[in-house]
Amino acid sequence: MGSAVLVVRLVLADLRRHRVQAAMLLLAVTVATATMALGLSLREVSDALYEQTQEASAGPDVVALSGETGPEVTSALTSLAEAPEVVAHHGPYRIVYADLTVRGSTSSPVVVHGFAETPGELDRPLVTSGRWVRPGGTVLERGFATALGVGVGDRVTIAGRPYPVVGIAVTSVTSIYPWAAQIGPYGGPSDYSGLAWMTRSDARALASSHDLPVTLALDLKLRDPAATEAFRDAHASSAMITFHSWQFKAEQDTVILRNSQPILVFGGWLLSFLAVTGVAALAAGRAVEQTRRAGLLKAVGATPGLIATVLLTEYLVLALAGDALGLAIARLTMPAVASPTASRIGTAGLTGGTVATATVLAVVVAVLSTLGPTLRAMRTATVTALSATAHQPRRRPWITALSALLPTPLLLGVRLTARRPGRAVLQACSTATTVIAIVAVLTLNAQPERGYGLDGSSVLPNLRGEHDRGLMLLVTILLITLAVVNTITFTWTTALEARANMAVARTLGATPGQISMGLSAAQLLPGLPGVVVGVPLSIGMLSLFTARNAVETPFLWMAGAALATLLATAALTALPARLAARRPVAPTLSAETA
Amino acid sequence: MQDAVLAMLAKEPSHGYHLRARLRQCLGPLGESMNSGQIYVTLTRLEKAGLVVCERADGLPERPERKVYALTPAGQRRVAAWLTEVGWPKPDLAEFHLKLAAAAAARLADPVELVAAQRRELLRRLREVQQAALAEPAGSGAGLLLEGVVLRLRADLRWLDACERAWSGADDEVEGG
Amino acid sequence: MNVSDVVVRARGLVKTHGQGQSRVRAVDEVDLEVPQGQTLTVMGPSGCGKSTLLHLLGGLERPTGGEVWVAGRRVDTLSERALARMRRRSVGFVFQAFHLVEELSAAENVELPALLAGRSRRQARRCANLLLERVGLADRARHLPSQLSGGQRQRVAIARALANEPLVVLADEPTGNLDTAATLDVLRIFEELRSAGQTLVIVTHDERVAATADRLVSMRDGMFVDDTRLAASHPRGLGGLIGLGD
Repeated sequence: MGSAVLVVRLVLADLRRHRVQAAMLLLAVTVATATMALGLSLREVSDALYEQTQEASAGPDVVALSGETGPEVTSALTSLAEAPEVVAHHGPYRIVYADLTVRGSTSSPVVVHGFAETPGELDRPLVTSGRWVRPGGTVLERGFATALGVGVGDRVTIAGRPYPVVGIAVTSVTSIYPWAAQIGPYGGPSDYSGLAWMTRSDARALASSHDLPVTLALDLKLRDPAATEAFRDAHASSAMITFHSWQFKAEQDTVILRNSQPILVFGGWLLSFLAVTGVAALAAGRAVEQTRRAGLLKAVGATPGLIATVLLTEYLVLALAGDALGLAIARLTMPAVASPTASRIGTAGLTGGTVATATVLAVVVAVLSTLGPTLRAMRTATVTALSATAHQPRRRPWITALSALLPTPLLLGVRLTARRPGRAVLQACSTATTVIAIVAVLTLNAQPERGYGLDGSSVLPNLRGEHDRGLMLLVTILLITLAVVNTITFTWTTALEARANMAVARTLGATPGQISMGLSAAQLLPGLPGVVVGVPLSIGMLSLFTARNAVETPFLWMAGAALATLLATAALTALPARLAARRPVAPTLSAETA
Repeated sequence: MQDAVLAMLAKEPSHGYHLRARLRQCLGPLGESMNSGQIYVTLTRLEKAGLVVCERADGLPERPERKVYALTPAGQRRVAAWLTEVGWPKPDLAEFHLKLAAAAAARLADPVELVAAQRRELLRRLREVQQAALAEPAGSGAGLLLEGVVLRLRADLRWLDACERAWSGADDEVEGG
Repeated sequence: MNVSDVVVRARGLVKTHGQGQSRVRAVDEVDLEVPQGQTLTVMGPSGCGKSTLLHLLGGLERPTGGEVWVAGRRVDTLSERALARMRRRSVGFVFQAFHLVEELSAAENVELPALLAGRSRRQARRCANLLLERVGLADRARHLPSQLSGGQRQRVAIARALANEPLVVLADEPTGNLDTAATLDVLRIFEELRSAGQTLVIVTHDERVAATADRLVSMRDGMFVDDTRLAASHPRGLGGLIGLGD
């Protein structure tokens, strides 16, 4: 009982004293777990949303489609409706391929489903605003309507004829916008299309007015909803009929998320990596304090288990708090990320697997950050630990000799970097990660894409591309934020550690400007290899994810990104370096004699 | 001791036993071993030297305790000269201690000034000895002796620091007379 | 005294710490002139402000009031950068805690000021070797500070202070961390510097160091209370010190 109180007290005192480190760890873990949780749950959430939509709109299990019309097709479809596995059916109904124009300029391909004015038992699209079809009017699918910017009461032109929009509805019979066309005209390939409904007679009139392509569709509800494959195999006799199962549609829903998942998951990894580098640097700065504390506890008789608990609890507590925060954020932003179109309804939570993985990630980040100093603290003998002093940097005569040839700021920078090679590596990793993210954003933006408008016009933007770019940008901003925090912290920590030597240098005649530039150089010098490694790494990683016909980013852009990163690093280090370089010399010198 | 006794008479004429009492009080435990007759021997010598004079004798003429002694003008000059002397007794610090006490009691000089003057002198001597010591090759016998002298001087200088602190703090405390 | 001979001058120097009730005058209206070639020692009890005075003379702290001149130039109004340049040319510091860079060898420590002043590496290294020879550590040029004794470390620090041929060397308790033998080594070097005409200002509470000076200033509570020349020898000679001829 007493040891629990001790641990709590120590942790609270530490948190109060090391606020910056606590805030950094909390921020980094929150961001990393949120991203990772979002990425891991995307598919499941998408599936869950499809199922909820299917339930709400009484969606079918299988849709049988045929690009040809005629009595043969009709009778084949009708016989399907009487198959033993089928418990309910809707149709056959007409699907007409047309063009929809709104406000005179924005055009999109559209498939028009001809439905009865009173929806049946199966395939009852859920009307979210307005009313269901009436003669002379049309109901638009919600995702389509949102993309067009059309509401109830607006007028649209379909195949040259104006129709008022009388309602907006949601359905599971097609995949989300813009994959409303399940098969193309006459059974051929399909294009990005939206979905609209009209009355049966309106649909027939529309089709015959311009001799538009028509597909016949039949909605089926099976006794065993899961057995769609079996049903297809059993009835795949005619080449005229294509079967689309609900699983296929749900799968199609995730196409829009095809890049989102790797962006988020990989982004989560990179964020965790940056989190570890940043916090590890700070933890290394506290190594002496931790070693002394471990020595003290050993001297008063604490068990190794208790010591490890004391050393690790602070980080674990923060990591778990960050984990909880991150999961909450993921839960809140899930709908926007997993369902970029407005085509689906419902709510979805995070699965147990995701929560577990995210928590494990948070714990691993915490443990990795503090692993080195903790191990060192536990292994040092008690007497040595009690009088532990800062780890003396190793002497490297060739670096000293080399730096003597350089002007003063670089001399100081090189020597400062050499004192803590571990931190230099961390800074390089931080810079490399930032460069990877920026190059990824640039590459993504360089890809050509097809708009959702008529003939691929980008009047209607490619939602998938936008979604990807938005997510990528968000992840990059988060990465850059962490990298910025890391850089500032590294600079400040270096300055603190080296303050005695910097004070001596100032008494020997180094100006504050030279010291400040030296501190900046100490961060820039490791940044150079980071940038050099980051560019090819990012190209390599992107090639794993992008399509074969992806366009390569121009080299000039990547060089620009690398240069911008270096300049930004220099700018970020400037302020903390300047502050550190101007501290009064005398107190630092006197403090060292104590 | 002679000069110290003279200086004690500078304040006012005193009986022998009164002087002895003051000396004992000033020297504290170090004065226990003082011979009780010593003071009268000293006073007789001083009288012979013309530095003190016997003012009047109360009671029986043979009893020396009843004599009251006072300074002659020669004695006063001697006291003034003694106060400014910076010769250093070895290893008896009592004389300097008494000098300070007497100077303060008779308001003849500022004890803090006396200490400062003595300090300057000792520092000058330390400087000479040190220069001689630096000139000696390492490990020579003379160098060892010089090191001993340096240590003594340093110790005396520290005591003078303490004297200065004490006398600049309280004026009459130390003398206690 | 010729004005151009004065290396360091202070007028009405004041340094206060703290606010309101706890305001304390570390240096209280100090006037000081140090001519070329003089060795000045400032003595006093701890906390009397002598280290602060040294920092003010060397530009490591800014005075609250008064003026400081080094080599005829006013330094208390200089910017930090100008102060640093002044320190490169005119002032060498020696500290009680040596303040050597632990990862650099003795020679690398000594050449540091020259490198900071922009001299070429070869020049700086040559100069460092000469200085180490002067302080008697030529054979220890490649040793790290951790491999040197306290006295040797302080001698390296003195060599470093001399690297840019400063006008004045300011030493803050140079023998504070040293034993007797090491103190003598350092005193020997100070003697040699004195006879070479180097201006020295030493702050100390060690009487041995004070005794080597030409001029001794006593300080208490931020003020000078005594200013003596420790000139030629006592006529009695050394024999009198051990009872001979007394």
